[in-house]
Amino acid sequence: MNDPGPDLETLTRRLADTPPDFMDEPRVGGSGRVAVPALVNDLAGMHGARLALAVLDGFKGQSARSDRNRLAVAMICAWLLADPWLLAQRLDPASLVQVLAEVAAEMAAATPAHRFAADAERREELVRTMLGRLGYRPAGETPIQAADRLAAISATERRRLLEASRAAEQRAREIREALARKVAAESADKWTRE
Amino acid sequence: MTDAPVDDDPLHCERFPTLSPDGQRMLDFMLGHPCAPLYRNKSGNRLLAHEVEAQRAYEREVGAASVGWLPDAVPDWVPSIVENVFAQVPHYRALGSPPRFLEDVAPVSRADFAAGIAQFVPDHVPLDRMIHFRTTGTTGHPLLLPSHPVVAARYAAYHKRALRRVGVEPAHGRGQVGVVLLGYQKQCFSYVSVTPTMDESGLAKLNLHPDDWRHPDDRARYLDALAPEIVAGDPISFAEYLKLPLTRAPRALLSVSMTLLPGLRERLELRFGCPVLDIYSLNEVGPVGVFDARLGGHLLLQPRLYVEILDRAGRPVPAGEMGEITVTGGFNFCLPLLRYRTGDFASLGFSDEGPVLLGLSGRRPVRYLARGDWINNIDVTHALLPFPISHFNVHQRADASVALRLAPDAMTHAGAAQAALASLFGQQMVTVELLQADDKTLQYTSDLAGAHS
Repeated sequence: MNDPGPDLETLTRRLADTPPDFMDEPRVGGSGRVAVPALVNDLAGMHGARLALAVLDGFKGQSARSDRNRLAVAMICAWLLADPWLLAQRLDPASLVQVLAEVAAEMAAATPAHRFAADAERREELVRTMLGRLGYRPAGETPIQAADRLAAISATERRRLLEASRAAEQRAREIREALARKVAAESADKWTRE
Repeated sequence: MTDAPVDDDPLHCERFPTLSPDGQRMLDFMLGHPCAPLYRNKSGNRLLAHEVEAQRAYEREVGAASVGWLPDAVPDWVPSIVENVFAQVPHYRALGSPPRFLEDVAPVSRADFAAGIAQFVPDHVPLDRMIHFRTTGTTGHPLLLPSHPVVAARYAAYHKRALRRVGVEPAHGRGQVGVVLLGYQKQCFSYVSVTPTMDESGLAKLNLHPDDWRHPDDRARYLDALAPEIVAGDPISFAEYLKLPLTRAPRALLSVSMTLLPGLRERLELRFGCPVLDIYSLNEVGPVGVFDARLGGHLLLQPRLYVEILDRAGRPVPAGEMGEITVTGGFNFCLPLLRYRTGDFASLGFSDEGPVLLGLSGRRPVRYLARGDWINNIDVTHALLPFPISHFNVHQRADASVALRLAPDAMTHAGAAQAALASLFGQQMVTVELLQADDKTLQYTSDLAGAHS
């Protein structure tokens, strides 16, 4: 976060204007339309680099459960990283791809991809996280200010994640208990039984 | 009818929240009849007063609606279901944002439900009145499916829709028995209830197996005394029903669970002089379709159930091609379905009345010869219940010996499972083999004459 970066507003507006093509369905297994490895390769090309095919393996989708949201976030990240200011920096392709992969995986763990375009707080979270990982801070902010704001957003998000995860576990336990009750086994009237 | 003491079980009120003295008299009549079977369980409609009213409205709505979608046209109500399910159901929420097109939703199967059914229950569903239906099914090991008394009651709306097509408008009411559900198994869930939407007409689920009766002749006497308007069962229980010297006939028979072969249907129609409806129904989905020979298949019954036919890779096949029946929507608000692969196969056709499943290849009833008596394949399932085996096949050879075929990962249970089956079929009758199929397996097969009743 040591280097001054682009205007925060410019990047969050860019996310708000994410084109529909970047919010289309990533290819996972046999379904979806967007080949994310090709998209990331194009991005690297715009940054003036060529990538070895093996570097792109992590952007192939195998299962919807583990890959769909991560790849959908990666598509939005790719759109963000094609911002003209960032392109002009000629970022190192290896670190660019690594940061993209890491940020997409982290962000996807808690948030549906399209909220990074539709929701103002999530847009700011994504922009600040991405800039921080690339070593930049938003224009007009000191390193300490940028670090504080990113930490504040991240802490709120981590808390939300933790609470959501606890609530989900408790709900699943309650459902299992409800299903196992004797009265649940008694069932109720149906005119036919399969 | 004779007066009998009111049930003093504290759960009685939960089973019958709106029970009137007339309804209680109906329960007493069915339980207290001198020829009554042994009812092994208790259950009830569990409907609250406002839910009874809502159910009546639901039945009217389902009766009036059409299954109006056309080939390759996803109905306009599907996108909102996709959006809601992605927002409210943990399994789908974990997949990220709702996709724009249904075809982008990854299909799920029974194996996904088995891996964690709680992940498929929406956040808003209250759990205090949750019930479950246990599927001992033919596609895997037992699974508890979340449901609700209102969901169970909704079945009637689809049965009435199917019955109306053949000119039967159920009219049973106070003091009459509306529906009898027949089983024919060594172990069978059996109970009596009343249907509040039909003015507390009686409903009995009973087992025709002689073990559940004081005398086998009581079966005909009791069924004649009940004189139900509708009798529901599966082909195996209907085969037994045919043998009884009944003097009263229902107005219609509803056959579910297994494929009803034409020969048995004709015998039932001839014997009882009433329509016999073959309903394709699944615990996960409810009644899906009713067979109509004129249409050449099962006409879909649920206005809010969209059916796709998928290939092995999960891609929709063109109309007319065989594939796996995959459903979206449904009426169980505890388990909304998005592209649920049923494990059954058919092709999709279209008629003036709506979409039709053609060439449905579901489950074929199989009975086994065990120690000189025929037993139901459900009894075999019961014997295997304690074992966590998902893929198996029980095959009876022409010499009546039995092969239990288990998937490699289930072979650790081979000894115990073999012993469980030996208790049914006799020592030295059961061998264990390795099952080499990774797809849906026909679990019950036989080379023995008479196995397919």
